[in-house]
Amino acid sequence: MIRIENVSKDLGEFKLDDVSLHVNEGEYFIILGPTGAGKTILIETIAGIYRPDCGRIFLNGIDVMDLPPKDRSISMVYQDYMLFPHLTVEKNIGFGLRYQNITSSETEAEVNEIADLLGVSHLLNRYPGTLSGGEQQRIAIARAVVTKPKVLLLDEPLSALDNRTTERLREELGKIHRLTETTTIHVTHSFEEAFSLGDRIAVMRDGQIIQVGAPDYVFRKPNSEFIADFVGVENLFRGKSVVHDGISEVHADGICMLSSTLKSGDVSISVRPEDIFISKKEIDSSARNSFSGNIMEVKDMGALVRLVVDVGIPFVVALTKRSYEDLELAYGTRVHIAFKASATHLF
Amino acid sequence: MLKIVTISITLLLTIFILSLIICIVTQTNLHILLTSIASEEIRFAIKLSLLTSVISTLMCIMVSIPASYALARYNFPGKTLINTIVDLPLALPPLVAGVGLLLLFGTTSFGNWLADAGLEFIFTPLGIIIAQFAVNISFMLRILRSTFEGISPRYEYVAQTLGCTPAQAFFRTTLPMSKNGLMAGGIITWSKGIGEFGAALMVAGATRMKTETLPISLYLNMSCGDLDMAIAAATILIIISFISLYIFERRGGIFHLY
Repeated sequence: MIRIENVSKDLGEFKLDDVSLHVNEGEYFIILGPTGAGKTILIETIAGIYRPDCGRIFLNGIDVMDLPPKDRSISMVYQDYMLFPHLTVEKNIGFGLRYQNITSSETEAEVNEIADLLGVSHLLNRYPGTLSGGEQQRIAIARAVVTKPKVLLLDEPLSALDNRTTERLREELGKIHRLTETTTIHVTHSFEEAFSLGDRIAVMRDGQIIQVGAPDYVFRKPNSEFIADFVGVENLFRGKSVVHDGISEVHADGICMLSSTLKSGDVSISVRPEDIFISKKEIDSSARNSFSGNIMEVKDMGALVRLVVDVGIPFVVALTKRSYEDLELAYGTRVHIAFKASATHLF
Repeated sequence: MLKIVTISITLLLTIFILSLIICIVTQTNLHILLTSIASEEIRFAIKLSLLTSVISTLMCIMVSIPASYALARYNFPGKTLINTIVDLPLALPPLVAGVGLLLLFGTTSFGNWLADAGLEFIFTPLGIIIAQFAVNISFMLRILRSTFEGISPRYEYVAQTLGCTPAQAFFRTTLPMSKNGLMAGGIITWSKGIGEFGAALMVAGATRMKTETLPISLYLNMSCGDLDMAIAAATILIIISFISLYIFERRGGIFHLY
């Protein structure tokens, strides 16, 4: 669908350095990286705002290097919405329809339909300046998808919003993607967004793509210290959750974990390594999650020791060197691990 | 103490400015003022002032929109130097600009070529327009440049992805979003144009009923001692200043001139 071959672009402050990427039709593709990594220039270059200094970009096999943005069938949503302040919400959403060969009543119908889908129908006559961040971003998304683009580019679409709004909009982005099946490239610095939305992830740093792969793969097998640090999360699993009796039961890779965060359906669950108890004896405590397995890996980190325990899925456990020695643990030792339902993070 | 001193100085300044205006408007009575304003000479001056200032303001806007857009959005060789040069008229005394215009249009083959083509600037109302344009263009340019700089180019990027050519994107987003800057710049340029004296005097001269704008009329009538006519011209200029200042404050108080 989108093929980027050896694209470089130097804008002084930001740059792309020999970027190659392939995004499949209908895919939700995440570009993950810290501020200044060149993520925004990459999608602006895909949109045709910048012409690469070298390299090529193909859309559906067609070289689009000489195609202006308007002819690429690509829509863009920015972090700070970029709604046109001098136009009503209705005019904002309908902005791109003006350039398609449709009647004004069709335009109205399309605007109403997408406004309904995003829950902004009641705002059509308002001006953007009077709306909340969440409302503005919904309208920006509506404006981008109403033209039925082949590719949707999202530049940190959730970063300017508060936590609750972010979570709701994240789910809606997933919903819109399932509904429209539009090839989507979503730029973010949040691993949560990447993990919960992405079919695949590309990690970017200093204008270069340093790893591409499925979220699980990138998080489990970061190919560099930088990615491991940047991702910063261990014990992250995807699974299905069912809520009953006021607790979420999450099934992931054959094991069942309990979480006090209530959420059902497809979820991601994480536990911090330092929140996991470890013992050679069966653990009898209030912790609702209890598993046993062998120590597969021991890593001395100075004051801390980092263990990987295989209980069917690998759990990373962190403990002080002192406890490690007191417990007489070693590579291959059979151990029990446990953590509280409240120590899990579900999203 | 500090409060009392600073407020006192502010008050004194206010009184100073007010007394200038009061001296002018109390110089004559309403009847004489109205008669003078109704006179053929003042009516001619009003008409000529309005015509020249409106045309020169429109010219400033037409040139400033593309020029300030280029300066705000693009990088090109010599941009820093060009930025300084286009700001020069802000610091240049209008009389000096007038001399330059007189020499450019009166003595060079470029000027002769224009005159042959029917565009005679020396001692004509066209000269007034070009003088106002030369002195005021930098104001318009500055206001619009800072207006455009304050508008993220991403609005245009979004518009382009939605189907606009770069030019359509500009006309449908950045330009309408610059409304306040355009209004503020237009008003300040227009009122400065109406009051323009030095450069216009150099290029167009001060010929009664030919190149006689309101400031020229004030100057001509003062020099020949016709105080009533001079006061009439001055009063109209005061009224115009008040109105334009009021609109400017309402519309463009947020824009920095310097």
